[in-house]
Amino acid sequence: MKDSRLDISALDTTAAKTLEIRGLRKTYTMRGGRSVPAVRDFTLSVAPGEFVTLLGPSGCGKTTVLRTLAGLEEPDAGEILLDARAITQLPAHRRRIGLVFQNYALFPHMTVSENVAYSMRIRSAPADATRTEVAAALKAVGLEALGTRLPSQLSGGQQQRVALARALVMKPDLLLFDEPLSNLDAKLRVQVRGELKRLQKQLGTTTIYVTHDQDEAMSLSDRIAVMNAGRVEQVGTPEEIYARPASLFVADFVGQVNALPGRVTGYADGRATIDVLGHRVTLRADRNPPPDVLVLVRPEAVRLSGAGDGAIIAVVEELDYRGDRIEYRIRIGDTMLVAIEAALGRRGRVAPGDRVGVELAEDALHLLPAKMEMPA
Amino acid sequence: MTALAAGRGLSEPGRSWALALLYPLAAAIVALFIAYPVVELLAHAAMSDGRVSFAPLARVLSEPYNRQAIYNTLLLGLTVAVLGTILAALYAYAMTRVEMPGKAVWHFLALLPTISPPILMALSLILLYGRRGLVTHELLGLQTTALYGYWGLVVAQVLSYFPFAYLLLLNLFRGLDASLEEAAGTMGAHPGKVLATVSLPLLVPGLAAACVLLFGYSFADLGNPLLLGGDFPVLSSQIYLAIIGQYNIPRGAALAILLLLPAALLFFFQKHLSARTAHASVGGRGALRHPQVRHPAAKAGALVVCGGMSLVIVMQYATVLAGATTRIFGINNTFTLRHFSAVLAGSRNALVDTIGLGVAAAIASAILGVLIAYFVARTRRFGRGMLDFTANLPLAIPGTVIGLGFALAFNHRPLLLTGTAFIIVAAFSMRALPYTIRSGVAALQQIHPSLDEASTNLGATREQTLWRVLLPLLRPAVIAGMIFTFTRSVTTLSAVIFVVSPHWSLVTPTILSQMDRGDLGEAAALSVILVVLVLAVIHGVPRLVGRDWRESA
Repeated sequence: MKDSRLDISALDTTAAKTLEIRGLRKTYTMRGGRSVPAVRDFTLSVAPGEFVTLLGPSGCGKTTVLRTLAGLEEPDAGEILLDARAITQLPAHRRRIGLVFQNYALFPHMTVSENVAYSMRIRSAPADATRTEVAAALKAVGLEALGTRLPSQLSGGQQQRVALARALVMKPDLLLFDEPLSNLDAKLRVQVRGELKRLQKQLGTTTIYVTHDQDEAMSLSDRIAVMNAGRVEQVGTPEEIYARPASLFVADFVGQVNALPGRVTGYADGRATIDVLGHRVTLRADRNPPPDVLVLVRPEAVRLSGAGDGAIIAVVEELDYRGDRIEYRIRIGDTMLVAIEAALGRRGRVAPGDRVGVELAEDALHLLPAKMEMPA
Repeated sequence: MTALAAGRGLSEPGRSWALALLYPLAAAIVALFIAYPVVELLAHAAMSDGRVSFAPLARVLSEPYNRQAIYNTLLLGLTVAVLGTILAALYAYAMTRVEMPGKAVWHFLALLPTISPPILMALSLILLYGRRGLVTHELLGLQTTALYGYWGLVVAQVLSYFPFAYLLLLNLFRGLDASLEEAAGTMGAHPGKVLATVSLPLLVPGLAAACVLLFGYSFADLGNPLLLGGDFPVLSSQIYLAIIGQYNIPRGAALAILLLLPAALLFFFQKHLSARTAHASVGGRGALRHPQVRHPAAKAGALVVCGGMSLVIVMQYATVLAGATTRIFGINNTFTLRHFSAVLAGSRNALVDTIGLGVAAAIASAILGVLIAYFVARTRRFGRGMLDFTANLPLAIPGTVIGLGFALAFNHRPLLLTGTAFIIVAAFSMRALPYTIRSGVAALQQIHPSLDEASTNLGATREQTLWRVLLPLLRPAVIAGMIFTFTRSVTTLSAVIFVVSPHWSLVTPTILSQMDRGDLGEAAALSVILVVLVLAVIHGVPRLVGRDWRESA
């Protein structure tokens, strides 16, 4: 897996499948009869070969959706279609959907090879085909030398790769990942994440990935579905999710954001004029926005300059050095803002108490109706 | 105990002189009351005219009757092991994987036999199916002794001991990582295949451990073979007859060795197997979401297993209660309390002594247990491995063998303890010691050493840390150990049968002699009192002393 060009001919999948999830609902009944909705009306279409991540805080229902796809949970309502074929009623073992578990779930009484060969043994595949494909899968994840080890003799990263090889060998119609990197340390996580992405692109298997880590989601995904309290808040490319979040929750979950109350004073030719922080800005808006809006601006789009340079004057309250960047907490009138600047290569030094000029990059501003404000 | 938890500094010699004294003291007690009696027993069995000789052993082995007893012991053990494990596995599976009503009730009833004297099963079986039994004699008009012998023993021992296997398997089934079974499912294995290729291979060591555990219990049982053995002699009853009936000590000792060796081997084998099951369970998230089977047939099956087994157990207890409150059970079923008044008049001393000595043993065992647990878990003292091993030996030694070892070791100077209360308390507390140690080690492992450090860092002295942090945290473990010791002590028969004396009589030997005399009503009444007493202690004491801090987590 170190090499980005590997021999995966033995793992070639059949044509990648379209996944269609419609109106999925699942409610858990807790001890004492209390019922807790885990997933409410979840709908998602995934193109063949697409890599889609379900992103959200713990308890948002993302793992339940994944387990429902694998057939490990029965939905209360809704439909799951693979290439237009309904699989909702199919038991897990007849779905051919590979799942990489968070704790890997490697069989402790089988060697690495036996673990990887399991699905083929279950289907009574010929022995030589099994050998070839197990070898290919282990090679694909860079573990060809460790086939005779037991899972307990492997490191966390190696176990993770065995789990992946085990899922690949089935040539799944759909590949599912349940926070597969959460048990690895930070450096390894980034490395395995890159390998995972390359492998998925080469195999072209339709993939659903669950995580609560927005970095991971951004780096891996073709599209991200941000979930909150059992619902999808927004589906979009990583860029859409980050630059044009559909709600304050999404904006806040995928990074830091300044949400500034603004008032719309005019709209013409797809551009809205808005009063914010006592100043007038114009920005692109697809529809005529309601009169009261929130203007979202990411901290890195807040540009600081010498006092008097910019139109807006702010006071630096606090300064947080973070190595690669510096975070400033600045005050404009009664409003606090966060600004981020790359630590190296900036002009001049700023200290708490300094007055600075502020400029908002207008092409990086995003509008939300003020009424939608979500509880944090 | 005071210095026991006096901080982790005790690995630094010289800083805690009290602990420096307590360690050799604990080691001496363990050596004197566990190692020495076993050595003494070996000496009696393998010495003749002051020289080492295997003559007593050879003589015992040469008698066909004894060879028959060895064969019978193995046959009975094997039957009880296999039947009990199957029953326990079904029961545990139903409790963990099938959705059914009444689980709390089934669990409580299954565990009832673990806190009752095993002779209670023999008593109720005799009342129901004995020579003058309600079912056999009164209802069916049979004049049969079919109960006495192999099958009667199988039933009595399976009922008495399957709960121990059930507890072991219950934890195993609960701990098995559900995601392993799910993973197999997603890879195309249907439920039967999942069971065959994943669940069973992971459970095999546990099932084997349950088997071996039951084998050991059957081996060690004395009460049931004495009462139900009939023409089916086993080793434990032969030891009793050799010592009490014939007063032939070398013969009894030789038979005890024959019982000890396989029992000890089985114990270490079981320990080995249990260690192997550890890798199958991870606890945590994966263990919590075992899907519950909802299929009506599975539910019905589970209810039949658990309900049926519970019904049988309830029937045993109901029979004993009925036997205690009727004039002559099955013949004259008039309600009476005269058995109780007879017991309270005639056996009051046995009751008072049992309670008093049981409490004394509970205190002794808990203190010693926590002390040893501390040395084992929190220090690196020389010889602590040996101490741990020796202190845990009573798990491997059948009660009859320990009791006989005690009787032989402390029957002469310099340690003439026969006839004293001390020997009984010592026998009680040594038998329970492995459990109090285990409870203490578990509690200490939950108390992170950083707690001591935090307390010191916040300005507490060593003594304040001890009183305000460690002892309160260890309290639940100490109380659990005391309750366990008390329960086990007042219900054991095998360990005390050779050390009771006219001065200090105990309840279980009294029940045995009442049954011997044919006073089944009094035996039943005394059994009822004992079971009620134990239940009251188990459920009452924790309520009196308050909540366990571990439960609120």
